[in-house]
Amino acid sequence: MYQQIFIFGAAFLGSAVESTEALTIVLAVGLTRGWRAPLLGTAVALVSLAVLVVLFGQFIVTRIPDSALKLLVGTLLLLFGLRWLHKAVLRSAGIVAMHDEERAYEQTVNSLREALTNTDWIGFVLALKGVFLEGLEVVFIVIAVGGTGRGLPAAVVGGLAAMVVVAATGVFVRRPLARVPENTLKYTVGVLLTSLGTFWAAEGMGATWPLDFVSILGLAVIYFAASRFAVTVIRRPAVA
Amino acid sequence: MKFLRSAGQQVIGLFVSDWVQSAVILVILALGWLAVSKLGAPALVALVLLLSGQLVWFARAEARRAS
Repeated sequence: MYQQIFIFGAAFLGSAVESTEALTIVLAVGLTRGWRAPLLGTAVALVSLAVLVVLFGQFIVTRIPDSALKLLVGTLLLLFGLRWLHKAVLRSAGIVAMHDEERAYEQTVNSLREALTNTDWIGFVLALKGVFLEGLEVVFIVIAVGGTGRGLPAAVVGGLAAMVVVAATGVFVRRPLARVPENTLKYTVGVLLTSLGTFWAAEGMGATWPLDFVSILGLAVIYFAASRFAVTVIRRPAVA
Repeated sequence: MKFLRSAGQQVIGLFVSDWVQSAVILVILALGWLAVSKLGAPALVALVLLLSGQLVWFARAEARRAS
């Protein structure tokens, strides 16, 4: 039960971050050039992603032996999670600028205004590319988080719920979701995915964790402590 | 074609931002696998500490480069 809730939560939070970034692109295109082309691009991207999930999800779960699957998914999850955590540490320490949806939105709108053509292909391709590429990360998170430990249904529900919540919010506010604490979410998801990746990679190696799935919480505490230590070590002093 | 190249780069970029750091993580995992097969669960402590250590190390290295 706790395992399913954890998997749902990790898939939901990770997917929410990526869905927010995709929504910014679709909103920028739709509000600048009209909605027909970007909505079509979004639909094509979502169908392509659904096909990927069904094909790869089924293949991974049914064809690859359990221990090899855990090792492979754990390793990929670890690389993915540590990349997010590394960036989160640098952002928290002021080394790298925080991700800003408001600024990303403005940049997309400006580039669209500069495009001197009436064709709708630009809107279509921009939305398709944005949703597909951000959606690839959602697909990976859903398959990796749910692909082992019989958690795929919970992960799929978590991913879909995040996409629906973010899309509904976008329809309602019609502005980029600048108030979503994206950097904090990425930090949290980075810790969760790194912990989950370590857990599964080690199980794939043949190790047995004390307290089984509960040890993921212990791993999360260790990685969080390490990341805070890194932030403290490299933090830039505030300019007076 | 440009779209496919961009998608390919995005897929690789999901897992790798710094090739050296990714290689170090893979080496740690390989060593962990060896240690787990010989020592069992106690090797997990070393595995987690090494992975946490590399996080601090590479964050510090990038901060130095940036300054």
